[in-house]
Amino acid sequence: MTITIINSPVTVERAQSVARQDLHTEPWLVRGIIIGVAVMFLTVFVVLPLILVFSEALSKGVGFYLAALADSEALSAIWLTLITAVISVSLNLVFGVAAAWAVAKFEFRGKTLLVTLIDLPFSVSPVISGLVFVLLFGAQGFFGPWLMSHGINILFAVPAIVLATTFVTFPFVARELIPLMQEQGSQEEEAAISLGASGWRTFVVVTLPNIKWGLLYGVLLCNARAMGEFGAVSVVSGHIRGETNTMPLLVEILYNEYQLVASFAIASLLALLALLTLIAKTILEGQIEEGQLPRDD
Amino acid sequence: MTIEVRNIVKQYGAFKALDNVDLRVADGELLALLGPSGSGKTSLLRIIAGLDWPDAGEVSFDGENALARGAGERHVGFVFQHYALFRHMSVFENVAFGLRVQPRAVRKSEAQIRARVKELLDLVQLDWLANRYPSQLSGGQRQRIALARALAIEPRILLLDEPFGALDAKVRKELRQWLRTLHEEIHVTSIFVTHDQEEALEVANRVVVMDKGKIEQIGTPGDVYDNPATAFVHSFIGESIVLPVDVSGGQVKLGHRPLNIDAGGAVGPSKLFVRRHDMQIGPVGEGALEGTVRRVRTFGPIQRADIALSGDDTLVEIDAPRDRPLTAGDAISLQPRRYRIFAGQE
Ligand SMILES: Nc1ncnc2c1ncn2[C@@H]1O[C@H](COP(=O)(O)OP(=O)(O)O)[C@@H](O)[C@H]1O
Ligand SMILES: [Mg+2]
Repeated sequence: MTITIINSPVTVERAQSVARQDLHTEPWLVRGIIIGVAVMFLTVFVVLPLILVFSEALSKGVGFYLAALADSEALSAIWLTLITAVISVSLNLVFGVAAAWAVAKFEFRGKTLLVTLIDLPFSVSPVISGLVFVLLFGAQGFFGPWLMSHGINILFAVPAIVLATTFVTFPFVARELIPLMQEQGSQEEEAAISLGASGWRTFVVVTLPNIKWGLLYGVLLCNARAMGEFGAVSVVSGHIRGETNTMPLLVEILYNEYQLVASFAIASLLALLALLTLIAKTILEGQIEEGQLPRDD
Repeated sequence: MTIEVRNIVKQYGAFKALDNVDLRVADGELLALLGPSGSGKTSLLRIIAGLDWPDAGEVSFDGENALARGAGERHVGFVFQHYALFRHMSVFENVAFGLRVQPRAVRKSEAQIRARVKELLDLVQLDWLANRYPSQLSGGQRQRIALARALAIEPRILLLDEPFGALDAKVRKELRQWLRTLHEEIHVTSIFVTHDQEEALEVANRVVVMDKGKIEQIGTPGDVYDNPATAFVHSFIGESIVLPVDVSGGQVKLGHRPLNIDAGGAVGPSKLFVRRHDMQIGPVGEGALEGTVRRVRTFGPIQRADIALSGDDTLVEIDAPRDRPLTAGDAISLQPRRYRIFAGQE
């Protein structure tokens, strides 16, 4: 049997350089169309809605816009949203760092299960996440009777909103940190410990600075989602006006009542938050890349 | 400070990374731990440093149980294979770290810390790099900073895990010399891990050879080279010609050919080990082995020749002085001047 070698190195090289040339000589028409389609898609689905939100909110003038935001129901929704975000982001900051630390730096049984559980809130519909809390804390729920007999209100009150938001946004910090910490390994921590540093000190002066940009990134995404969460919160909130409505919920209520300007005024705040998040995210991504650059060993 | 390691066992699942390791390191000694990758060197070092715990066995420093203390209380300086410098701290802060984290009662003043760091950076000859960050240093510089950082806490023991493993040959050679000199200056009990036999033989007073989680031999560099205790040590340290032989009734046979050499106690299927330069070349008929020269290369004072042994044409590589010129095609005999026979075919 004879074997003919067709792909001699020379031919392969030739083929590659031909392919490269082709890329560059792609007819400008094709390129134009591809770029045009992408730009059009972005315009219709992203830029246009954003512009519409702001133009609708300001359609009756700035005075009307500001008045809509200063309304007591609006203020209460903004306040509740901020409180909820602060609490759930802080909780997830702590949980996320702890979970990422455990997964990245230790070997233990059930680790794969833990990683899967961390992702759970992402793979479950937010409505289901909300229902879980109804099943736990509702009048017919698991803890319901006990809570009622002790006069504790969780469901249809602020605690349930915070809990549901925390649950839904749990994965952001942990998922951002796990690959980062795994990549960094634990040698620096071991060096610090063997030089006599305590565990806490090692965490603060060695681990934390190494993960700070990733951590901030996770917190940013977590916050954006916490403020914007609709589904889970809608299920547990009870929609009590001026009490348990967050901004996204209020947007829907006002819209359904044909108060378009007020509805879009609140929506414009959320859109603004999204824009700020986007900018901060871009800056952070640059920082994270820079922090990982010069490792030549 | 003396280190005593007794019957250490370390298991990962069913796999024994360390299998009953016994070792004593004398005060002020520089000991080399030599073995192929995966032989358990790092595992042993980490247990001594307190970064890992053994499944069985004891570790004591100056007769005092070290396993009762955490890594931070053992005063062991550890130099990692991949440096493990704090990447977000300057070189200065890296070296100062061990001094800054001391308990308040014994912590030095800022001025004292500065003076000490300066002294250490001078010692490793890198004081001009104090304000740089680890990512801005070469591999050799990083490793010297890692060493300065480990020395800052005035460790009672210094453990170096393949410190020069990731560096190129020339830098390694320089650092090896430098480390030797440094050890003569500061005399701290040290264990130096390497998988490079030349490095071990050059740096240390005593060499411990490990394989598969067990210690194969402990001795001076001369000892382990000239009198290898096991077949593994013979083939791992220095290059050897290895031939499968059979010993019966005190007779050593290669295939069907009797070699007329002493079996030295081995019986049954065995291996004959000869250093490349211990093969004496002679005219046909005057040696234990016969063969034909296939190829000759000369470097410096020696010539290296590939010899095809008569019979099954096994190729062996020998080193010979240049005063007896060899040419391809010559028929010659070979007589081992020094050799070892180890029983077993593994
Ligand atoms: N954390 C671990 N989990 C499982 N196996 C390990 C672990 N650490 C080391 N080993 C195994 O133990 C053996 C010895 O490893 P090591 O001590 O690092 O060897 P060396 O430093 O001599 O290369 C290797 O086979 C390695 O795969
Ligand atoms: Mg190792």
